[in-house]
Amino acid sequence: MWEGVFRTGLWPDYLFPSPLGVFHNAVEGFQDHSFIIATAASMKRVLLGYSISLAAGLSLGLLIVACRFLDETLSPLLLGLQTLPSICWLPLAILWFGIGEDSIIFVVAIGSVFSISMATLGGIKNVPPIYMRVARTMGAKGFKAYTSVVIPAALPTIITGMKQGWSFAWRALMAGELLSPKDGLGYILTLGRDLHDMNQVVGVMVIIIIIGLIIDKFVFGRVECSIRQRWGLNRA
Amino acid sequence: MLKLKGAGKIFSTPSGNTKALENVNLTVARGEFVSLVGPSGCGKTTVLNIIAGLEQASSGKVYKEGREIMGAGPDRIVMFQEPALFPWLKVVDNVEYGMKIAGVPKKERREKAMHYLKMVHLTRFASHFIHELSGGMRQRVALSRALAMDSDILLMDEPFAALDSQTRSILHTELQQIWCATKKTIIFVTHNVEEAVLLTDRVIVMAANPGRVKKEYRVYLARPRETEHAGLVRIVNQIMKELKEEVEKVARSEYDSGWTLKKSTFLLSPDSNVGGSI
Repeated sequence: MWEGVFRTGLWPDYLFPSPLGVFHNAVEGFQDHSFIIATAASMKRVLLGYSISLAAGLSLGLLIVACRFLDETLSPLLLGLQTLPSICWLPLAILWFGIGEDSIIFVVAIGSVFSISMATLGGIKNVPPIYMRVARTMGAKGFKAYTSVVIPAALPTIITGMKQGWSFAWRALMAGELLSPKDGLGYILTLGRDLHDMNQVVGVMVIIIIIGLIIDKFVFGRVECSIRQRWGLNRA
Repeated sequence: MLKLKGAGKIFSTPSGNTKALENVNLTVARGEFVSLVGPSGCGKTTVLNIIAGLEQASSGKVYKEGREIMGAGPDRIVMFQEPALFPWLKVVDNVEYGMKIAGVPKKERREKAMHYLKMVHLTRFASHFIHELSGGMRQRVALSRALAMDSDILLMDEPFAALDSQTRSILHTELQQIWCATKKTIIFVTHNVEEAVLLTDRVIVMAANPGRVKKEYRVYLARPRETEHAGLVRIVNQIMKELKEEVEKVARSEYDSGWTLKKSTFLLSPDSNVGGSI
């Protein structure tokens, strides 16, 4: 269908590329390793940034739940920060870390950290109180009650937040790589745009979508599915 | 021995304070099987929660073996109206949960869990997930989880209220057997008088507004008991009469005094001619 629309010749090929052209471009990109290098660089950044935000987001969420004062003061702030597009952090990141790897990773981390901590917070707050009552009468207190009841009970919501965080991390990465001096998918995307090479732009878009699908299917999908299985949520 | 001394409870809400309990005195001997019955809202569950340590009494004190109870603990296990099993754990892991917290070695707790699952006839389902069980089975798992803690006091808060009558009667028999075998102290909250008389040795009738102990009945009947037993029916009727007054009082206060219990002794239905054809 895509090819068909292209063949009608309604738009010139520098505005609307053909799938064949995109495909050839991608093959070329993979053959000269430029796509592979870019993907690897991007994956490295997103994984690093995401790991940081995972650690920070989870601990921030747990910390806020544990302390009522923090909950009252920080929760609205978090909500506000979550609505802030990650590209807004770019100028600050440049000032703090300079143009380069660190600032990109910072933007990725900050772009996804709030949705993860909000989900952790929400998940834990919505744990049915009866579970905690059971845990208390069974003698579970403090840290033990947390790890054995609160976190497992909140896990489905936390996973959803992590998934959301992952997609936010990608968006942030694209924003961040606008300042990349040498590599990454965002860099190739910008390069393609500057050279009016729509084949390359769409090729990068397709790669990003495919990576997203793969990660969702093999990482989050698996985890989510096994949780749904356990909780009996797959039975309609 | 468990002792409640002048226990009172006041719930404060934005619209004012509610006196849920007033001066409740109660002594339960070791190994006794006691039930609390009363109209809804008379504070039965609150008494249980105070004993469990899940709620703090506003006044008065609770002692166990002469020591004051502060907070919840694994020596007083509660079985709730809903099974409250953890959906992320398998059946056997649910039963093991308390022992795991207590630091019992893995092999020992698995053996014990299987033992208590056997008591409720659920060993076949040990590695199932909770959602794969029926409501009655879940409640049985909850029972074996409570028993597995080997606490000397078991507190049961209307544990069979949500079950169908067949399952309930099976569990009644099982619970009687388990009590005879383990000799635990059991405090059983219910609104079902028949259930209370069937299971327990002492039935404590509570009154509402504010919640307090009204009367006590001892049940001297051999076990296993059956609901059709004439002696049991007689005691049930006695308690029912006592309760009726209370229930009526609660209903009157809830329905703004526009409510009375009909005094008629047989049902007058328009299409019945009451033996007119004789």
